[in-house]
Amino acid sequence: MNAKIGVYVCECGPNIGQSIDIPRVLEVIPASEGYGDAEIVAKGFGLLCSGDGKEYLQKEITENGYTHLIVAACSPRDHNSTFMGVCKAAGLNPYLYKIINIREHCGWVIHDKDKATDKAIQYIRAGISRVLYQSELFERQIEITPDVLVIGGGIAGIEAALSLAGPDRKVYLVEKSGKLGGKSARFTSLLPRQGRGAEALREKVEAVRQNENIQVFLETEVEGNIGFLGNFEVVLAGTGNGTKTDLRVGAIVVATGYRLSDPKSFPGYDYTDSDDVYGALEVEEMLSGEGIALRSGKEPASVALIHCVGRKEKGYCSRICCNYMMKIAGHFKKISAGTEVTEFFFDMCLPHKADQQFFDETADLGIDFKRVIEITLSGTSVTYTEIGGGKQEKTFDMVVLAPAMEPCEGTDSIAELLEIDLDERGFFKEAHQTTDAVATSIDGIFLAGASQGPRGISDAMAMAQALAGRIRAQLVPGGKITPEVKVSEILEAYCTGCQTCLEVCGYGAIYYDDQKGISVVNEAVCRGCGNCYGSCPSGALRTKHFTNSQLYREVTEALK
Amino acid sequence: MHHENVVVVGGGIAGMKASLLLAHAGKHVYLVETLPIIGGKTIKNEESFPNLECSTCLVAPIQQEVLQNPNIETMTLSSVAGLEGEKGNFTVTIEKTARYVKIADCIGCGMCYEPCPVTASNEWEENLGERKAIFVPCAGSLPNVPMVDAERCLKLTGKEECAACVEACMFGAVNLEDKDETVQVEAGVVIVATGAGLFDASSLPKLGYGKYPGVYTPFEFERLFASNGPTNGELKLRKTEKEPSKIAIIHCVGRKERGYCSGVCCMYSFKFAHFLKKKLPEACVYNLHSDICVPDKTYQKFFDGVKEKHSEMLYSSSVDEVEVTGKVDGLKVAYNNERDQPGEIDADMVILATAIVPDHNAAGLAEVLGIDCDERGFFRTLDDDVSSVESSREGIYIAGTAEGPKDTQTAVIQAEAAVAKALAFLETCRPQAAEVAANSKG
Repeated sequence: MNAKIGVYVCECGPNIGQSIDIPRVLEVIPASEGYGDAEIVAKGFGLLCSGDGKEYLQKEITENGYTHLIVAACSPRDHNSTFMGVCKAAGLNPYLYKIINIREHCGWVIHDKDKATDKAIQYIRAGISRVLYQSELFERQIEITPDVLVIGGGIAGIEAALSLAGPDRKVYLVEKSGKLGGKSARFTSLLPRQGRGAEALREKVEAVRQNENIQVFLETEVEGNIGFLGNFEVVLAGTGNGTKTDLRVGAIVVATGYRLSDPKSFPGYDYTDSDDVYGALEVEEMLSGEGIALRSGKEPASVALIHCVGRKEKGYCSRICCNYMMKIAGHFKKISAGTEVTEFFFDMCLPHKADQQFFDETADLGIDFKRVIEITLSGTSVTYTEIGGGKQEKTFDMVVLAPAMEPCEGTDSIAELLEIDLDERGFFKEAHQTTDAVATSIDGIFLAGASQGPRGISDAMAMAQALAGRIRAQLVPGGKITPEVKVSEILEAYCTGCQTCLEVCGYGAIYYDDQKGISVVNEAVCRGCGNCYGSCPSGALRTKHFTNSQLYREVTEALK
Repeated sequence: MHHENVVVVGGGIAGMKASLLLAHAGKHVYLVETLPIIGGKTIKNEESFPNLECSTCLVAPIQQEVLQNPNIETMTLSSVAGLEGEKGNFTVTIEKTARYVKIADCIGCGMCYEPCPVTASNEWEENLGERKAIFVPCAGSLPNVPMVDAERCLKLTGKEECAACVEACMFGAVNLEDKDETVQVEAGVVIVATGAGLFDASSLPKLGYGKYPGVYTPFEFERLFASNGPTNGELKLRKTEKEPSKIAIIHCVGRKERGYCSGVCCMYSFKFAHFLKKKLPEACVYNLHSDICVPDKTYQKFFDGVKEKHSEMLYSSSVDEVEVTGKVDGLKVAYNNERDQPGEIDADMVILATAIVPDHNAAGLAEVLGIDCDERGFFRTLDDDVSSVESSREGIYIAGTAEGPKDTQTAVIQAEAAVAKALAFLETCRPQAAEVAANSKG
């Protein structure tokens, strides 16, 4: 069957109608040569994106039996999907159609009508050349499992599990240690209101235990992972007993948390384990356990709290330290109002609406807040320079440090296993800093809590809930997913197995087949970015809908 | 089917992201926005911190997707006027102000503005530019459909029988007979994402806002700098039309009065410094700050870069001690320095980093929806140490700066968290198989 191409030029009111000589386009295009036996029909219409226009176009496609369609109109950003829909409705494969932007690219930018018309004709001819080399592509649907693997049994992981588990969705919650609750379980009270915080956390742990749709794996790590959104195959390994469990899940949540950095690793913090210098977490444990006591067993009469330990070296603010140091200071005062409590801070970071009030209330307890620009520690002796003041030295009974939060141990091996990225600080890298902090570059793998960056309990829980919303919307029980159609493919005969494409793929969509000695594209994961196509030295790769022949025909015609 | 519908109030970044996620989950969304366009405050910015991405490029695809999604019914120039029923079964009354332009027929060609004889100050451009009585707020508005200002239009005010815009439109899209209407929709849940406003800088007379033309609010500066703004991004000062050479950015304006830190002002102030030095390399830029609040893993690096290359950082012990004096083109900024000694700098431009405050209509909306505000006037959420999206009324969720000051990242997370809560609840509304069978027998 010979090709029959319909070319429809939209007037777009004055936008194209007045700036381009449409009658000339309609006269020149059908008479164009160089398309072999293809028959070209060209027609104009007032406004193709209107209801009437779409109906007209659909009827024209059906009645004329076009094999290919060109719409010369506006930017594809505005109406590409509109006309793809018209093609589908008319029974024409939408990948045999192309929109040509003669408004933004021609009519709007060239004020000489003749020249704008020449360019529009050139563009339409280039489009015809390309569309003749386009192939039908078909959407596929893939079965999914709605079940979810959550890595990390801290507050973020617990919240994610509770937000997702239900009769139609099982959650597997994997925790490296022997119990759930993470670091927050060690806190004496939770910020900012310190009310039912710790108790609420215990209730949540209990809710996980009671939930028959959540299966908890303690002392377990993730060992293997392959697959993609809707269909991940993971292997869990018990660290104690060596048991292996194979699971199929639709999504993976990474909630591996943080740890506090070692203050001794930073310059200016010179003390030994026998000094009464403690990290914030140690003090939290004392407060929620047997109470505050110095190594001698006595209670401290003077306490120094030092903020921002390692902030400069790490290159970021850990966001929650100001708040929890105030909380700890308050506890010291509650235990004994006579305790002399001094907080050394650089900048107070109080970004939540309730934080300032908490600061004001804490200050009212009689805590001495000192704004410093420099501080060093030698044993329990603090040398500091207050802003606008001179260097001073003071020895305290007890020193409490707020060391910078840093990624948990094992973060890099999880990144490697899941093929997700880390940022320059070693935290997991989000899909987009501003608009997508819970996703990663791999579809179906999500981040919650401090594994993505320092944050408090409330924010960690919000992230867990947010990704639960994403998973609920993406993986509907009993539903299917439709992967990208314009994906890369590898011609086996040409592939030399050099694996260059594996290195440039940002989505983990290509793997190496040892048996055959070639690279293989996982079409369900590929997003069609074309990186592999450009990098393949042997011409084995191509990205559907952006093949060399399509682009070559289009460009050479446009440049004639 | 109440439980398949959701009303989202507010078309900013939080409302749009919530709407899209709900739509992807198969829900039908009524997105209610008071302005003629969606996009919220983010689209007023030329670039967004910390990566300095073009804000339009960041937000326009989201706006487009919202407008093109068949599951989202975007209702612009609309506000929620009533709410009846309870969670799972709300009836929401929405008042739609007449646009006088048919969205379905308009292609956004802009032919109607030119012939309009009326000129008015453009509020969306912080009154730094002008518009006609038929207008879109700025280039790139979405939906790209103008509205008619009924209070200015000669025909609608009865001053003249003008029909210039009607005649200019080739699609018959302008309809000056359009009427306001009230509609009722049914929804299982409501998500409130109405955003926030800025502290009124003129309430602190010592800072000179309104008195000296060289004193700017943050959004005034954003629009002045914006390439799609009234000056096409040319930095020309009000009145003098000169480029500024010494710029003082004053942090924490209104922090004490409001009783909280707004969390984002430090970052946008540093962004301004970066903008200014990029456009005016010879200019001196000062940031007068107290506490530096850079609470994201990426923010400190941005601050360090600005401190090194773009701005002198002056510690000012309290904004209470800051005073702006001078004349039209020469201002003096007095402050207390780190030794609590008086300091002074010359400036021809002052930018006030004003606190984020509740939207002017927050209390009114709270009353309509039957939800509580906190003592600061933002919508209250339950247990704000444990969860942060559930309002005081079941079935109503809060997202974005409507809940309190926050950066875009946190607002988006909150929006998606609100959707998660909403979807989980709506799932429980779905009639169970047994009930359906029982009902069909009955």
